[in-house]
Amino acid sequence: MTEHVVADADEISDGERIIAQIEGREIGIFRKDGEYHAFLNWCPHQGGPACEGTISGTNESTFDRDSLELEVCWENEGNVLNCPWHGWEFDLKSGDCLAPRDDQLPTYPVKTRDGELVVEL
Amino acid sequence: MDTDIHLTTPTDQIAQYADKPYADYLSAEDVQLKSPGWDPTMGGKIEERTLLTPEDIEEEVKGEIHIDYPIVNAFVNLSRLSQSETAVHLQRACNDLLLDQFLDDHDFHGLATVATQKPDKAAEELDRIGDEDKIVGVFLTSTGPRPPLGDPEYDILYQAAEDNGLPIAYHGATNSGFDIEFPIHSQEFEKFVEAHVNAHLWSQTMTLTSTMVNGIPEKFPDLDLVFLEAGISWVPYMMFRLNKELSMRRSEAPLLEKQPEEYIRDSYYFATQPLGEPMDPEHMKTMIDMVGKDSLMFASDYPHWDFDHPTELNGYLRSLFSPEDRERVLSGNASEVFGIGI
Repeated sequence: MTEHVVADADEISDGERIIAQIEGREIGIFRKDGEYHAFLNWCPHQGGPACEGTISGTNESTFDRDSLELEVCWENEGNVLNCPWHGWEFDLKSGDCLAPRDDQLPTYPVKTRDGELVVEL
Repeated sequence: MDTDIHLTTPTDQIAQYADKPYADYLSAEDVQLKSPGWDPTMGGKIEERTLLTPEDIEEEVKGEIHIDYPIVNAFVNLSRLSQSETAVHLQRACNDLLLDQFLDDHDFHGLATVATQKPDKAAEELDRIGDEDKIVGVFLTSTGPRPPLGDPEYDILYQAAEDNGLPIAYHGATNSGFDIEFPIHSQEFEKFVEAHVNAHLWSQTMTLTSTMVNGIPEKFPDLDLVFLEAGISWVPYMMFRLNKELSMRRSEAPLLEKQPEEYIRDSYYFATQPLGEPMDPEHMKTMIDMVGKDSLMFASDYPHWDFDHPTELNGYLRSLFSPEDRERVLSGNASEVFGIGI
């Protein structure tokens, strides 16, 4: 693992991102609720630039078996990253795919040190 | 080589190649050449990509997805226009636009746009542009046209395509009348066999899709769903297509917690009749294997004219499965699902 300083930490405001080139790879670094998360800009579906997608919420749903009431709610606003190619949804903090399959965006350790953002690769 | 690259063709662009009064017709605010109002972007979660210029094709199609030979189509939905006279005029405008802006000066090929409302006029258009080297086929929207595209009414169009050495490319679409024409098409078949081949398939694919997207197997996990009389070859197609689309559009079916294939394997059952008849029996073996011993149930459909005698399925089962698994398909699965002790 090598540490790479990619930017000053305050270059990214909360809810925003940068895409950095590190060792020939494109890495998206997101700041959310004061924490930083780094993912490879490569969707496990078909290789789309997932880190460049819109950030939104998504629908979640519950069903009451007895009353047959279906509730659909828009949730997690600001925490869902949508791949711009096909709309695969990812949790902005973990990189986990929200669809029921074992896929996630490749993640990298990221931290701040002396006001700088450091990604380990 | 990529056989299906869609241009985005704004109506004001088409208008530049159209004569009056048709050019003006295109600017009338109630003219819809494109969409009946579906939302492909999921409320803006993804952007609607466009290919507006040859440079877009160079950059995105050739550059980013590495296509050396794009075959482009204007993707203008003339077959849905109510005023057929206008549609007929606009096919010329669309093709002139395609040639002028995309084919003449660039290394692309293209498919001709025709209006299916007047097949003789479509044929004239193919004769007009048929010797253009860069026009390599005819784009036909298969969802909207009435009657269905095998009707003898279209023979003159097919004749012109053949005379000009142009293959036909059929393209299904949601936005070209599926919502309106789907029930009407069935009234326009001329032979019973046309309706019969499609009725079960259409109804069952629609029902499988509807139950899945609405989460029936998640809402009622102990409920078994049995599909009769559409055979089994459609099942792998739907299973894999639903896997793909519901991963991309998860937010439209948020109740689902498993992949569609898992629900299908857990809760859905498929009666085997009418077992299709591939020329190579190995292909049916593959199909039976893909749907799987746990999801299949024998059915004969007797006494209907297309009934299956059990010996046909049994022949496949003997060569594919262990005696126990063969037994599951011939009686065990049905016995469990319908609760009949044997």
